[in-house]
Amino acid sequence: MMNGLIHLLSSHGISHDFIIKAAFYSTAGLTVLFALSVVLSRNIFHAAVYLAMVLLGIASVYLYLDAEFLAVVQVLIYVGAIVTLFIFTVMLTADIDTGPISGMFRRISVSALASLAIFFILAKVITMTAWKVAVPAEAAVSLSQLGKSLMLQYALPFEVISLISLAALIGAIVIGKAEKK
Amino acid sequence: MIPQSHFLLLGAALFSIGIFGVFTRRNAIGILMSIELILNAANINLIAFSKFSANPDGSGQIFALFVIAIAAASAVVGLCLVISIYRNSKTILVNKINLMKW
Repeated sequence: MMNGLIHLLSSHGISHDFIIKAAFYSTAGLTVLFALSVVLSRNIFHAAVYLAMVLLGIASVYLYLDAEFLAVVQVLIYVGAIVTLFIFTVMLTADIDTGPISGMFRRISVSALASLAIFFILAKVITMTAWKVAVPAEAAVSLSQLGKSLMLQYALPFEVISLISLAALIGAIVIGKAEKK
Repeated sequence: MIPQSHFLLLGAALFSIGIFGVFTRRNAIGILMSIELILNAANINLIAFSKFSANPDGSGQIFALFVIAIAAASAVVGLCLVISIYRNSKTILVNKINLMKW
């Protein structure tokens, strides 16, 4: 359907490149807007839903970077598992409508100034650096290639990650267990 | 073709929004959400560098996978701690949790 749409638009004189660019920049802008609503919304439940939208937007940004597997993993793990966990925790604790922010005007303004300063420094550095663009990637990294390097080159970190997951699992059970009175 | 710097700018914007959230949120769950934003910004950068590197062998994507795994583990443990704190002190507002303050 997407291909048909692109074909229809390009028959009206809109180039393929333009469509891709327009889709990317609107996705990126929406993602940033949703991220702002995550940190600014008063209701923490709404923030969790906005977080799901941000993560979906980031998954579609991964598609532009030829990382289809990462996009699927992002949707499965983040949107499927982590956001669900967040919503469960919001439901299990009170204080849903706590107000976004600490209420102190000075603290908010100082934090806004600090994060804006960080953003402008990063943006300045990014735009000033002359990135050497390699050959326009002819072939995306294939899934089997990813799996091979995960099992060969990065076998040790992979095992460490599985240990960490196990530790997190056990730790979560131990911490979350209700104490016997 | 979208230039590399635009992906990096998106990552920088998400990172600073996450920093702002960590600074200003009162709710412990909100702070964890902002940390997730920061980790995702790092992931965007990793994958962008992986795509535009001279020898794309997918290392950046593997690192991003590891970051996702760590983020999942940290979210699980963090949310468990939040529930445990709520059970003990009936609040998750970080400015009211002062059990260890003298």
